[in-house]
Amino acid sequence: MLARLAENLFWAGRYMERAEDTARMVDVTYHTLLESPYGEVSQSWEQLLEVLHLRAGFGDRPLDRDRVVRFLVAERSNPGSITSSVAKARENTRSVRELVSTELWEHINDLHLALSSRDLSRDLADQPYELFASVRKASMTIYGVASETMPRDDGWRFMALGRLLERAQMICRLIDVRYSQLEDLAGPSRRLAPLGAEIAQGADRTDFHHWMAVLKSASAFEAYRRRYRSSMDPADVVEFLLLDPDLPRSVLFCLTGSMHQLEALREGRPSRAARQLGRAASALRYRDVSELFDVGLHEFLGQVQSELGQVAESIADEFFRHQPSGAMHAIATA
Amino acid sequence: MSALFDRYDTGDLFDEVFTDDGTVRPHYAGLIDRLSRLSSDDLARRERIRDGIFRTQGITFTVYGDDDGVERTFPMDLLPRIIPADEWATIESGVAQRVTALNRFLEDLYVGEQAALHDGVVPRWLIETADDYAREAFGIPVPHAARCLVSGVDLVRDREGTYRVLEDNLRNPSGISYVLENRAAMTRVLPHAFAEQRVRPVDHYGPMLLKALREVAPPAAGEHPVAVVLTPGVFNSAYFEHAFLARQMGAELVEGRDLVVDEHVVYMRTTQGLKRVDVIYRRIDDAFLDPVVFRPDSALGVPGLLSAARAGNVTIANALGNGVADDKAVYAFVPDLIRFYLGEEPILPNVDTYLLWEADQREMVIDRMAELVVKPVAESGGYGMLIGPHATDEEVEQMRVRVAADPRGYIAQEVVQLSRHPTLMGEAMEGRHVDLRPFAIAGESVEVVPGGLTRVALRKGSLVVNSSQGGGSKDTWVLEEREA
Repeated sequence: MLARLAENLFWAGRYMERAEDTARMVDVTYHTLLESPYGEVSQSWEQLLEVLHLRAGFGDRPLDRDRVVRFLVAERSNPGSITSSVAKARENTRSVRELVSTELWEHINDLHLALSSRDLSRDLADQPYELFASVRKASMTIYGVASETMPRDDGWRFMALGRLLERAQMICRLIDVRYSQLEDLAGPSRRLAPLGAEIAQGADRTDFHHWMAVLKSASAFEAYRRRYRSSMDPADVVEFLLLDPDLPRSVLFCLTGSMHQLEALREGRPSRAARQLGRAASALRYRDVSELFDVGLHEFLGQVQSELGQVAESIADEFFRHQPSGAMHAIATA
Repeated sequence: MSALFDRYDTGDLFDEVFTDDGTVRPHYAGLIDRLSRLSSDDLARRERIRDGIFRTQGITFTVYGDDDGVERTFPMDLLPRIIPADEWATIESGVAQRVTALNRFLEDLYVGEQAALHDGVVPRWLIETADDYAREAFGIPVPHAARCLVSGVDLVRDREGTYRVLEDNLRNPSGISYVLENRAAMTRVLPHAFAEQRVRPVDHYGPMLLKALREVAPPAAGEHPVAVVLTPGVFNSAYFEHAFLARQMGAELVEGRDLVVDEHVVYMRTTQGLKRVDVIYRRIDDAFLDPVVFRPDSALGVPGLLSAARAGNVTIANALGNGVADDKAVYAFVPDLIRFYLGEEPILPNVDTYLLWEADQREMVIDRMAELVVKPVAESGGYGMLIGPHATDEEVEQMRVRVAADPRGYIAQEVVQLSRHPTLMGEAMEGRHVDLRPFAIAGESVEVVPGGLTRVALRKGSLVVNSSQGGGSKDTWVLEEREA
């Protein structure tokens, strides 16, 4: 298929995922902080900005809730806001309308039109939950519609690849920032102690809320409860979100899924992207969570993120940016 | 006959359905009878079905100059236009004759000896002052001289019902997608109407176009030439059609940035590397094709494309520089070009045209301007023209000044009272002016798609049928020859 169209589908997948993840994170942060016992509110919002790599874009403005939320949801000049991400997902989809199902286009277009037509400032002041829920729901509908209406051709694969890689990166950042925060608060020794809800007191209780928020941001709280039953153990949370092979929002799950798409796309040709991705996935698959803490979780997550960045570069080189000269050779007309 | 036609007035004009004494022409009898038996509720329901079909498929065009380019549908009237087999035979041979002669003329002009200029059939100065005379096209031959690979020849019918050529549209004629979509919609909205007679199909247009594109591939392309459709992109008013044609042919729809030229060979960038392209059906104007040769600021084109064409590694269709024959003053010479290149009499006449650099014709036109149509020679789409009888004194006066200052820049024509066709306006039929744009495809030979786009001027009395100026359309039926 044409490289430009493949790239547009890849980015449509990335932007939709980014919009959805941002909505989840803002939603959970917002509602968790309503019950927060401590005055660490501005710090939490700052961390969210860091997870999303938008701290610099926010600038010197005061770090209060309403400002940050408006920046993350509605600000057009913020390229990472939900409205901007949805607009870009729509633009990318619009240019490949011939390759996606009509239903998929209509749902993305509807979401974009809904966000552009409503008074977001008022909704945020009034009913933020309803707004976040509607973005999340629309995003899930879009994914469901895509999944049920698009043939599993190259176009589908590039879109899925974009979505999965974006999700893996978002989850890495989420764990990284939350974990670093606890480290700052309490020092390394305490991080791994289980946090029983029944004994949650003081600082422990804050931690409990933090980890619950992390799980909820990844729609993984209920699944976590079923899997681990016990108390809230940070090591378990990290293991679950990073290394679980079956959780749709775990990093390993996303990398395995990306690998699967990439294998099909490269059709047996040698691929640097596939090698890099395989390496990153293996590093997770054969790792015990306790080893991660020995290495240093922050360092490890940094390593994974940098590898994912390289994978994205390699995908662009191998599929999107062919030039007449250099190593790429022309394929003779079939 | 039902209430549909109760107050129908044929006026003092040629009516496509009714003769002067008010009887239905034989080839419409079955259809009119069937339509008249539908209740107004029934008609309204069918209009709703039609609207749904067009809206959900997004069959729209963009009107420039409106608020941020609104997408509109191009409304199709429920009553189709019918052309009997013998009438079609004349149109078909006339259009093919014209396109054949124009292809010979253009090939001779750009890669031949310019015989028509040497022999004075067309004044050399006229060609050399035409906006779209492209010196860049010199020396780039096109296989089978199929320079006008697709033409959309606009025909109108005068008071006597004679078909006349209004313009040739040899550059990037659009509208074929409406022909196919109108037919597809019509078979769903009024399936029973097709039962009365045998209507010739149009849905082979995609394969026809692909076949012609392959026939004009350069010899270097080998057995299986690769053809693509080149579009300016999603914001172009005819993007729907570009995508439609690519789909119909199973060809890639590319933008300029998808193509790259290396060593005078054109490639498209695919996910599997660079893939050679042999024929480009381009829907981009000449001036935007290659920033190396034309506008350096054009981001739509492909740097080096012309050098690849000149090296014989790619064919560009329609060819570069066809616009010279679309110049409305050059149009006036097409009947002579037919006689000169083919040695035949033109089958379809022109509309009588006055050339304003001739002093006597100019004076007459300035004198009678309020009765005439005056058009700028290089415009299309109905922009910039004056319809004398419908214009204010001030508009006429302004045009007089413009014509006097730039006589080469305008032509004048007698007003053709375009034929009218009953068209459903609300609950009753009213006469509306129509024209006809048949599409001809030239490869090894010239073929004309049966029918074409019938455009309707929806405003009462208006003679302007262009989609950009509030026009609608009709499905156009060419009937099979009756078996004896």
